[in-house]
Amino acid sequence: MKKSRKFLALLLAGVMLLSASACGGSGAAESEAASQPAASEAASEAPAEDAAEPAASEAAEGEAEATGLFPPIPKEELKVGVIHITNPAEGSGYTYTHDLGIQGMQKNLGLSDDQIIRKIDVDDQDATAIENAMLECIEEGCQIIFATSWGYMDTCEALAAEYPDVIFSHGTGYKSNGTNFNNYFGRIYQSRYLTGIAAGLKTQTNKIGYVAAMDKENAEVTGGCNAFAMGVASVNPDAEVYVKVTGSWFSPDGEKQAADALIAEGCDVIGQHCDTPNPQLSAEAAGVWGVGYNSDMSKDAPNAVLTSTMWDWSVYYTKAVQSVIDGTWDGSNYFGGMDDGLVLYAPLSDLCAEGTAEAIQAAQDRIISGEWDVFTGPIEDNEGNVICAEGEKLSDADITGNIHWYYKNVTVK
Amino acid sequence: MEHETNSAILCRGITKTFGPVVANDAVDLEVRYGEILALLGENGSGKTTLMNMLSGIYHPDRGQIFIDGRQVVIDSPVDAMELGIGMIHQHFKLVEVFTATENIILGTREKLQNPRALREQILELGRSVGLEVDPDKRVYDMSVSEKQTVEILKVLYRKARILILDEPTAVLTPQETDRLFAILRRMREQGCAIIIITPKLQEVLSLSDRVTILWRGKSIDTVQTAQTDARQLTELMVGRPVSLQIDRPQPPETPRTIMQVEGVSANLPDGAPALRQVSFDIRAGEILGVAGSGQKQLCEVLAGLWPVTGGRLLFGQEDLTGKNASRFAELGIRLGFVPEDRLGMGLVASMGMTDNMLLKSYRQAKGPFIDRGPAKALAQRLVEKLEIVTPGVETPVRLLSGGNVQKVLLGREIESSPTVLVTAYPVRGLDINSSYTVYDLLNEQKQQGVAVVFIGEDLDVLLELCDRILVLCHGQVTGIVDARNTTKEQVGLLMTDAHTSEEAVS
Amino acid sequence: MSTQAGGSKEPLIRVVKRAERSPRQVTLLRLEALLLSLVAGGVFILCLGHNPFVIYATILEGAFRSKIAFQGTIKVMIPLLISALGVTLAFKMRFWNIGAEGQIIMGAVCASYFALFHADWNHWALIAVMLLAGIIGGGIWGLIPALCKVKWGTNETLFTLMLNYIALHLVNYLRDGPWRDPTSQGFAKIARFDANAALDKVLGIQFGWIIMLVLVVVLYIYLKYTKQGYEIGVVGESANTARYAGMNVKRIVLRTMFLSGAVSGLAGMVHATGSDITLTNAVAGGVGFTAIIVAWLAQLNPISITVVAFLFSVLEKGSSVLQSSYGLSTDCADVLQGIILFFVLGCEFFIRYGFVFRRKGGAS
Repeated sequence: MKKSRKFLALLLAGVMLLSASACGGSGAAESEAASQPAASEAASEAPAEDAAEPAASEAAEGEAEATGLFPPIPKEELKVGVIHITNPAEGSGYTYTHDLGIQGMQKNLGLSDDQIIRKIDVDDQDATAIENAMLECIEEGCQIIFATSWGYMDTCEALAAEYPDVIFSHGTGYKSNGTNFNNYFGRIYQSRYLTGIAAGLKTQTNKIGYVAAMDKENAEVTGGCNAFAMGVASVNPDAEVYVKVTGSWFSPDGEKQAADALIAEGCDVIGQHCDTPNPQLSAEAAGVWGVGYNSDMSKDAPNAVLTSTMWDWSVYYTKAVQSVIDGTWDGSNYFGGMDDGLVLYAPLSDLCAEGTAEAIQAAQDRIISGEWDVFTGPIEDNEGNVICAEGEKLSDADITGNIHWYYKNVTVK
Repeated sequence: MEHETNSAILCRGITKTFGPVVANDAVDLEVRYGEILALLGENGSGKTTLMNMLSGIYHPDRGQIFIDGRQVVIDSPVDAMELGIGMIHQHFKLVEVFTATENIILGTREKLQNPRALREQILELGRSVGLEVDPDKRVYDMSVSEKQTVEILKVLYRKARILILDEPTAVLTPQETDRLFAILRRMREQGCAIIIITPKLQEVLSLSDRVTILWRGKSIDTVQTAQTDARQLTELMVGRPVSLQIDRPQPPETPRTIMQVEGVSANLPDGAPALRQVSFDIRAGEILGVAGSGQKQLCEVLAGLWPVTGGRLLFGQEDLTGKNASRFAELGIRLGFVPEDRLGMGLVASMGMTDNMLLKSYRQAKGPFIDRGPAKALAQRLVEKLEIVTPGVETPVRLLSGGNVQKVLLGREIESSPTVLVTAYPVRGLDINSSYTVYDLLNEQKQQGVAVVFIGEDLDVLLELCDRILVLCHGQVTGIVDARNTTKEQVGLLMTDAHTSEEAVS
Repeated sequence: MSTQAGGSKEPLIRVVKRAERSPRQVTLLRLEALLLSLVAGGVFILCLGHNPFVIYATILEGAFRSKIAFQGTIKVMIPLLISALGVTLAFKMRFWNIGAEGQIIMGAVCASYFALFHADWNHWALIAVMLLAGIIGGGIWGLIPALCKVKWGTNETLFTLMLNYIALHLVNYLRDGPWRDPTSQGFAKIARFDANAALDKVLGIQFGWIIMLVLVVVLYIYLKYTKQGYEIGVVGESANTARYAGMNVKRIVLRTMFLSGAVSGLAGMVHATGSDITLTNAVAGGVGFTAIIVAWLAQLNPISITVVAFLFSVLEKGSSVLQSSYGLSTDCADVLQGIILFFVLGCEFFIRYGFVFRRKGGAS
């Protein structure tokens, strides 16, 4: 039955192709309507037709916390869009980690495969390609679209205004509108602090290297680096952290060269905030140790990796999609940490120094309980300025956007 | 039969079609060792197609080819070479930057041997048939006849016993032609079989033993040269009796000079001199013939398309030196020019007649748009007047036959009522009928008082059609002769005159 | 009579030149090629384990199934069609301008300057200035290789190709340096344009589609009915003929290349300010190269270019839906496009040549 409909659509389209008439658009829309299940058809047309629901914006100004901004959606009718910058089939790295999160969410909530619309290889430089990918998700009937790459932010913002009934959830950026466009990220610095402890206890030369993708202007990278350095300092006040910046999120060669240079400086543990496992491979080749990022890099360099800083995006994806199903979506930004399980670290390897597990566990307990967090004073930068006095804490806004300094034991190479 | 023993090539029922065009229709042909066979036919009668099949470039659709009495299939020029067939094409196929030796051995399977021995071998090969060549000279330094010599040596080196020459004399002076023919005769004596394609009846009569005539793709007759004459051959070739007489009306008693060329010099694209201090007049009501090297630049200089490096071009009181063709029109000078390269210069090959009529006049319409109305009317008028065969005035002119293309071009230039009409090789490649139409049109213009310049290569035609002939040699004027009482040999001598011998090498 | 067979045999397949085919036959041949390409593509899809009919239907659905989809298709079509028109001008003149990519980028760069730094101007004045900037930016990028060609005889193919990369890196420089979005926290990108600097939408699609249609008509008339269009045709056929006709060939080459670049520049302006609403290094994104294929497939006829560009856009847009619906990677869609192109371009060969197979029994 479904096949025959498709065939009809093909026939109709074939006729149009031959006549090559520009007015074929309406005809195709009809054929599409015939071949789609009724429910998703309704869903796909909804956003285009009743634009600007006044209730939604009012709710945003008023009591956003109390009730959801959108009505509940039966689980079977839900569709989730995901925009990936590369192909999750790569098997490791950024997109892979995010897609694992999507798969986890799908399993947690029991969604079927055709309820997930994936758009892969969407170049984050090509605004029109991004827009087309998102519009196709909307056409397919997605009520919520996860945009995983930083570069998708502006398009999310624009489309959120144009399609107020579709939720755009954007990872890693800084924009949001409080209703259907939010931002999600996590307190990855917490895990970096803990893995810093492992590094600080392991080092024998008291020199620890850190390969950073971006320089001081980038608060995310710099904050992560500082957290790592603070973890080091908490167990080994004599150790120094040497940072090398590659200037690129993904630069296999640059990352390797940076790590090699740091090892040549005498660093014997290499941390990293960049996409490939190359720094860990360099460490392994040089017979020193390292701390990985994104996925458990002990798979890549079993003889070097102490542990890795990791994400579990399924925590957020499950929470967000659940709130859409329940009608409790409130449009707030998400900034989850270790307490949610969004941020974690890989199991400690046997290479870790004695007492590492205990030290990390102690710090982790304080973080999860909320009694203490990483960016708590006193914090002094490497130029002698006091960033945060004793007893004070950096706000989330400062943590995500204003860390343009290095912790006192950091040296940039 | 006797021919079984010494038949070199025997073709039976060769048919070749290109789409709907039947280029060869059941052609029979035979050439024996020790004879020269002339292949005669108008343009488009299928001569070149037939020869291309013998040299392995095309493959016949039907028919058999026997070489030395043995049936063969010739799939490539290499096959042809192995069968002892050597083709010398009208357009030489030589590598310009290679020496004669390198060109001669190019493509043979032998290993490069001792250069001195090779050199000696080539010199010896040349001596055997009376060919002279400098084995170390590079092709770009060679004259046309030297290049041809290399081509001939190339096939001899490959031990060809059957030679096919496609219009070998088209680019040669009469003296060079004589030399070539002497060589061909010597090769005949040595037992080679030679097929020569030429449109010139005199050459056929003087050189060949037998003549095979092709007409519209069919081999209609083969005659013994000794038993025929130009008239019979022409009739066979054209398919009906024709008059071979070219009219030559008398020019006015007191000719009026329209254009004066004073000491004009010009260079070739590579900077070498093409014209040196050329001076002559162009007069109303007469046809001035131009023969010899430097013709091409001369006609472009006259048409304002080639820069001069010295001298003046006077049109009445007006100095035209350094002015381009579009300025001519603004000065009210009506100059018609039929260039040598009809489809590459005089016409736009992919456009129809209508658009080609516009080529020189499109600027006249006011505003940014083109006015095709008058052009279309003109095109239709020409079709009727000159009996141009075309499916329609919008058919791309490249699809027309050579004669019709020339009618379109000449017709347009005549319709612009020129005061001077420069024509470069106007009958090259045309069949006899079309050639005579062109002669008639030029004579008609001459009688209307137009000054006609006729740049030609066939001295017989020049001598019959023109009033005066300007002879150039290496870009220098070696004589302006009265065509009515000059012989072909005199003109030929002027074309290679001894007093320019010091420059002959350059 | 000796009919002994020769050593060599007649080749199995021979290539022979055909007489000119009638336009009707040519059209028919092209349709056959299209059909064959669909069959071959179908075999490819079958090998991947999908039903080709379903896949093709999905491609068409993806391009037409809703208003949004159709609008998306047109959005793909706008820069493609406009730049195909741009290269057509140069190709008519036999000037091998493969620099549409760079000309698109330069048009977009020049327009973006005003969008970024003069967003406060009156909307229509700003749009007009940006249009002009796009035209001039692309035009100059087209003019440079033409100038060098007429002055020094440089090779335009290489020259225009190289200018593409210069333009691309210029965008990267602006993105990383002077035009970097100050609010982007160190991420290298150029800010999204102010709404005032964005092209308006008409019927839900950016205004560029009207510019596109107007350009089709204008170029059709320009090439067919104006003196300048006639000159382009003559110069393209033979520079000698143009000289013979008293045309100023250099001036025509310069003028035409400026126009060619200008039209492509317009494509860049329209895409940056209408679709992207920002300037990125993907503003051309290969469109300038696809445009060349479109222009040649359409035999440099603006009306056919419209049709071909539309079909390309359908394929492009439909393929992206294919990826999400069937998990076929975008590479598979590229292979499909490649197969279709192979057949359609391959059929051009058969317009002029044919194959003859060896007859049984040989010559008889």
